[in-house]
Formats: sequence, structure tokens, C-alpha cells
Amino acid sequence: MARDFGEVVHHLQMKKGDVGRYVLLPGDPGRTDLIAKYFDNAKLVANNREYRSFTGTLLGEKVSVVSTGIGCPSTAIAVEELILLGADTFIRVGTSGGMQPEQEAGELAIVTGAIRDEGTTLHYMPPEFPAVADIDVVLALREAAQRTGAHYRLGISHSKDSFYGQHQPERMPVAERLMERWKAWKMGGAISSEMEAAAIFILSSIYRTRAGGIMLVAANQESKNPERKIVEDLDELLRTSIEALKILIEQDRKSKK
Amino acid sequence: METPDGLQHHIQLKKGDAGRYVLLPGDPGRCEKIASYFDTPKFLARNREYVSYCGTLLGEKVSVVSTGIGCPSTAIAVEELIAIGADTFIRVGTSGGMQPGIKTGDIAVVTGAIRDEGTSLHYMPVEFPAVADPDVVWALREGARRIGMPHHLGISQSKDSFYGEVEPQRMPVDKHLLERWKAWKMGGAVCSEMEAAIIFIISSIQRTRAGGVMLMAGDFESPPQNEKELKAMMVLFDVDRVIRTAVEGLKVLIEMDRSH
Repeated sequence: MARDFGEVVHHLQMKKGDVGRYVLLPGDPGRTDLIAKYFDNAKLVANNREYRSFTGTLLGEKVSVVSTGIGCPSTAIAVEELILLGADTFIRVGTSGGMQPEQEAGELAIVTGAIRDEGTTLHYMPPEFPAVADIDVVLALREAAQRTGAHYRLGISHSKDSFYGQHQPERMPVAERLMERWKAWKMGGAISSEMEAAAIFILSSIYRTRAGGIMLVAANQESKNPERKIVEDLDELLRTSIEALKILIEQDRKSKK
Repeated sequence: METPDGLQHHIQLKKGDAGRYVLLPGDPGRCEKIASYFDTPKFLARNREYVSYCGTLLGEKVSVVSTGIGCPSTAIAVEELIAIGADTFIRVGTSGGMQPGIKTGDIAVVTGAIRDEGTSLHYMPVEFPAVADPDVVWALREGARRIGMPHHLGISQSKDSFYGEVEPQRMPVDKHLLERWKAWKMGGAVCSEMEAAIIFIISSIQRTRAGGVMLMAGDFESPPQNEKELKAMMVLFDVDRVIRTAVEGLKVLIEMDRSH
């Protein structure tokens, strides 16, 4: 776990008690305000670099939202420092690209595991180790999606380091490698491409915390549908992730976890 | 790969022989025992390390097919089983426990596997996670709960070398082995076995479902100190425990599939 730098942790600029054990992790700091609106008694607790944090309550339980910034390097820092502050349950909430032809923009991807197509987690663990979501978090997210009536599917997410390497592989010196690997991920059934899940899952395995993720499929470059729809409305995604937190809180109370 | 008479090349089974639900032990010698838990068990085939039986559970056709040790022979079994219509796999086996607090006889319900083997690299780059199906994991946990079997959810190490794990110090790559073993333990891996990773990777590619339950020997870093302790351990290291868990989990899954 991250070393205690004193009263406040180095990057998040928060101290013990500032965050709850349940934390939603969007990438975009601008979205934390939007998510905090779904909490009771939400309060801005810190704002430093790409890390913007609100804490409030759900069902009377302290919950937080902390942005990670884009990519696994900044996300690993956020997760390390949150664990130091006592958080133990993480749900990544974000946007992603679809990867299967039958996926429609607007559906939700509930992540069961992540492809470690990034550099950060190799500083923690050899690549053969799977980045796996916690089963209880996955099932809570699924239950929540059923309650909110969202279209969803469960599956593996592609966590990459290079946004433009995915969207414009042809202009990269390693184009062939990028395209060959993309094809393999698709054949393996990956349902979303984003940039943070793998680090959250690997750190959670090491520190015995729980993690999951839910992603809006904002667009799908692989869609059979020639009309390339882009969905930007986050309401269903956010309502579903809040509902999942409530399910987890109730479950934890019942099992006194 | 089919032979002219419609049989799969290695497992020597044809379409319809196995049903959709298949239990996968490593040891061909365990198939008969597992089949004895089925209603109306029937011997199907025996070729190389592949022994198979079918039967029913809750009126549903189920089967057991041994994989042999290791991912190479397991990949062949899974490929050929999918070709004849199987879509749900539960690995049933024995393993070494990797975390303090794991007792001999406890069951690991596997959620994912470390791809510490060569076979799955012939399918998929190493960064792709070997993940169990959440419904299968849920059903196996529920199965363990129903029969009161002590169990741990977690990641399994799927390795290619048995002796590299149990006697790393005599291998030329001992440092590499020991360093990685430490990393797997720090990552929370619960058990070490030799087949799960390939079952999960092939299931991702073929869109089938897979999970696994493993009987664990207690952490071998604190082995039994005398004959009495060894005897007590061997009583608990009873493969019947993991078979009962797998069969109960399979029943839960069959019920779940029917209700959907």
C-alpha cells in the first residue's frame, strides 16, 4: 500500500475519513459533479490535478466519487491512495467503444475481466496474471442493470494505453501489431475498449479489495449497423452504477462484511 | 477434427454423446467415480487419457471427460467437446493451496487463472485474462454453500511444470520460478493446478461457459510434521469432497438455465 505522506495523501489531497469504503471511479474529473448529484449530502472534498473527489451517502452509508484521469498510470495512483484512506470497493464508471458487431451504441458493458494491454500493471504483476473483477460486484452491477431496465452485456474489457493507437492504428509505426491484436481481442469476445479497468482489477487482487466496472458503449466501430451512432447521455449508466452500490451496501449489511 | 465415422479424433465421441454440461477432471481414473453421482451413468469411450461417461442430473444430460494432465491435452478435449455440442465446462480437480488459512480439504471456486503455461499463447496474446463465467462461479459457490463445504473464491495458477512448482530449487530457472510464485501469492492466488487457464481461454473464444472447483492441499510451506499429521491430512484430501461440490454446483446451474 502507498506510503503515508502525512496528513493528506500526496496526489488525491485527502485524509482519512474524507472518503467512504465504496468509491465510484470515472476517468473524467468533469463527470464527478454529475455523479455526486446522485448521492445524498454530496460535498466536494478535494480537487488536485485530474483527481476531483466528492463524498456523500447512499442508504446512510458513506460513498465517494474520485476521478482517475485517463489511463492506468494516474488510475493506479488514485487506487493506491484510496486504499490507504480505507476504501475497499471500487466501481469504474466510464465510457468505452464497443467491440462486437452485435453491440449497439448506448448499451452498458459490465466488465468481468480486463485485457492488460497497458504498461502500468507490469510494474506490479507478470502479464500472465488475470485482471479479474470481483464476482459480487459483477453480480450487483448485473442486478442493477436489470432493475434500471438498461440494455447490458457481461464480458471482458480491453484496457489500452493508447487511445489513438486504437482509433487510428494505421498511422502508427506498429500498425500491424495493433491490428492483429485488436482482431484477437475481438475473437476472444471482448465487449468494450477503455483505458483504466486493468489497473483497478490488478491492484484490487494484490490488496484484497473488490472491484468491478460498468461502461457505456458510447460508439461501436465494429457495428454491423452502417449508421454509426454515438451516445453521450450518461444518465442510465450513472443510475445503474448508483443502484449497484446500493445493492452492495445492502448485501454487505446483511452479511456484516 | 472428425474421423470418417463421425467421431472426434482424440476423445472418440460424436455429436449428441456428451450433452451440453461436461465435468472435466484431469485423471481418467476419476471419471467412473464422478459418473457414479449421475443418474443412469453410462460408459462412453476410452482413448489415450480421455475417458468419458454420460448420465443425467435433474433429467438433464451431463457427462464427464478426463483431460489428462496439462493444458496441451486439455485444449484438445475442450475443442473436440465443443465440436460435438458441449457449451458448459466445470473443471474438477486437485490442487495445492497458496494462501495462509487454507486448510487441506477446502475447495477453491476458481474465478480466473494465471496463464503460466504455453498452450493458451497459441490462441491469444498473454494480456488477455483467463476468466471463469460469472454464472458458473455463482452456481459453484452456491453448490458449496448448499452442502456446507468450506470454500474460497479466487484465482488459480495454471502451470505447465508440476516439479517446477514443488521443487523449484532444482531447476536451472529457479530464481524466475520463485520470484513469480511470490508474485502470484501476493496477488491472492488461492490454488495451483495445471488446466484451468486453457479451459477459460478457449471458452472465451468459442463463447462457451467455464468454471472450476479444486480440492486443495493445505499450504505446502507448512507440511505435516509426522505420520499422524500426514494421515489426518490424507483423510481430508478426499477427492469426494470436490466431486460432491461440482455435482451440486452443476445442479444449481441446470436449475438456473431452466428458469431463464
